[in-house]
Amino acid sequence: MLEAIGLTKLYGQHTALDRLDLKVNPGEIFCLLGANGAGKTTTINLFLNFIAPSAGTARINGVDVARDPLGTKQDVAYIPEQVSLYGTLSGVENLRYFSALALNRHLPRPRLLELLEQVGLDTHAIDKPVSAYSKGMRQKVWIAVALAKEVKALLLDEPTSGLDPHAANEFSGLLTRASQSGVAVLTTTHDLFHAKHTGTRIGIMKRGRLVESLDSAQISDVDLQKLYLAHMGA
Amino acid sequence: MKWLIFEWRLIARSRLSVAALLLLLLLTSLAVWSGLHETARQRDTIARLAPLHQQDVAALAARYPNSADAGSPAYYTFYNTWDPPSQAAFLALGLRDVAPYVLRVRALGLQAQLYEGESFNPEVALPGRFDFAFVLIYLTPLFAIALLHDVVSAERESGRLRLLQAMPSTRQLWRRRIGLRYALLLACLVVPAVVGAVSSQTLPAVVLAVLAVSAAYLAFWVGVTVLVATSTWRSVANATALMGVWAALVLVLPTLANMVLVRAIPVHQGVDLMLKQRQVVHGAWEVPREETMGKFYAGHPAWKDSAPLPAGFHYKWYFAFHQLGDESVADQVREYRDGLLARQDWSDRLGWILPGVAAQSVLHRLADTDLPAQLAYQDRIAAFHGDVRRFYYGYLFNGRPFGTADFAKLPAFTPRPAAMTVPWTGLLVLLAVAALTLGAGMMRFARINPERGG
Repeated sequence: MLEAIGLTKLYGQHTALDRLDLKVNPGEIFCLLGANGAGKTTTINLFLNFIAPSAGTARINGVDVARDPLGTKQDVAYIPEQVSLYGTLSGVENLRYFSALALNRHLPRPRLLELLEQVGLDTHAIDKPVSAYSKGMRQKVWIAVALAKEVKALLLDEPTSGLDPHAANEFSGLLTRASQSGVAVLTTTHDLFHAKHTGTRIGIMKRGRLVESLDSAQISDVDLQKLYLAHMGA
Repeated sequence: MKWLIFEWRLIARSRLSVAALLLLLLLTSLAVWSGLHETARQRDTIARLAPLHQQDVAALAARYPNSADAGSPAYYTFYNTWDPPSQAAFLALGLRDVAPYVLRVRALGLQAQLYEGESFNPEVALPGRFDFAFVLIYLTPLFAIALLHDVVSAERESGRLRLLQAMPSTRQLWRRRIGLRYALLLACLVVPAVVGAVSSQTLPAVVLAVLAVSAAYLAFWVGVTVLVATSTWRSVANATALMGVWAALVLVLPTLANMVLVRAIPVHQGVDLMLKQRQVVHGAWEVPREETMGKFYAGHPAWKDSAPLPAGFHYKWYFAFHQLGDESVADQVREYRDGLLARQDWSDRLGWILPGVAAQSVLHRLADTDLPAQLAYQDRIAAFHGDVRRFYYGYLFNGRPFGTADFAKLPAFTPRPAAMTVPWTGLLVLLAVAALTLGAGMMRFARINPERGG
């Protein structure tokens, strides 16, 4: 579903991503771990066609992202580290607006409320301006947009950064439910615990290269930490 | 329609945007009202002329019930000429606020009466009164900048740009946003203008042309704003850059262009013509009368069979040297008018690169308040003055007395009809420049990169 074949990005002499080969199948949650500057966000940006690859291809549902950027965007939803919505609109208004952008049609209010309930947004907050929402609440609205889109792939960039443990746990639950419905999920994170307990596969990136790729079920928390630190040179 | 409602909701919940739109609507309404008030005042002034003239004539008829010659009646009778404002003049007062629209003339030398206290400026140098043209050309760009300068940078700075660019229909989103803001700005301009046009009974063709000018000029500035707004700069930098562009295109370059035009096409001021004519007239007192009359009869043989001048002062001689004074500056008058028209032509050409100049030129032509309109009024005055002269010459040079009954035969001025012409070249140039600029701006949305800038 999500595939990188020799994906490379150079910025002058600096190699931000070096021949990444990666495949995320439907129903998988692939967590990319790595330090700042390892190439995690660059990978996400290449899949979203925010930047052009220097070499290689990124494919979504078998289609080259660079050749059909608009078509591939219909099959993928993106959740950034900071979800910014329109503060003067309410949660349901933001959902209505962004889901209409995503689907090119308008969803009726009952469907919007159903989506917000699915992601666990407090019903009292639905019609309040988003400027009063916490980060976790804004993320829920955005996940509702992704669910409305009924996408086949999710791209997430540090989604649990800044969330309290309860909110992070809720978020992980939503991801798991999405993958169980056949969505391919690629997420980047610094959080070893989140990667181990949410991901089905884990990749470790260092200086633009995928140096490790393994099943999360095949490694313990402690061994994962040791392996990660070994690669980081600590 | 729902899309527009969503986008409208975003605008409506931004107090600054709503305030800007309301302010533009208020300013346009005030400008239209100001224009209507001024043209109504001018029409009222013109309407008072006829009864005043009748009073003057009645008083003169009582003072000169039976003159041996028409000299004194000719000397003392003033005639009102006037140039009524067109029905579209309220939109662009143009030269009507600096050049006379009412002028009293008598049978003496015309050039002194015509150019006394007159000044002309090319279109490029006249901000003019607070009318619709002023609001459109000088203020509307600022409102376009206010509503659009941060259309991308605000999304980038708030962190929403990545979310928006990850959507498949982002280009339609930008088009809707730009389109709605453009439509709202245009509505704030057009609604008061149309209300004013209806109350003024302006011709529909002229109204449509004014709407086209407004739409094109606004589209140009929306295009310029979008060209800058789609850069990677921050909102403040966009606004600063656009203010600089506004100052250059609307204030600085037109002023510089005017300075260049004034140097390149030097034109004597009308007051120079007036002084020259007066010098000749005053000097005629020193010239032998027979010489003056000889020159006059050479140019006007129709009166050469008039009786010889008696001893002492005679009005035949007086009016003859006044006419010779006019004729002595005829070449300079032609040069003066040709120079003004040449400057006007170059101003119109400047409109190809300065849309504000083009818009102003087109609006003034539609409103019939530009230089050609003013010169046409002067031509009308000159023709009427010729009629007045010939009327009195018939009495003076044929030795006929002038009495009460003759006051009833005085020539009557008829104003020129308003010239309702659409300056197609200027309008089409403006539309083309607007389309190109807006098109270039909209194409840049395809290259927005959320990874750059901020």
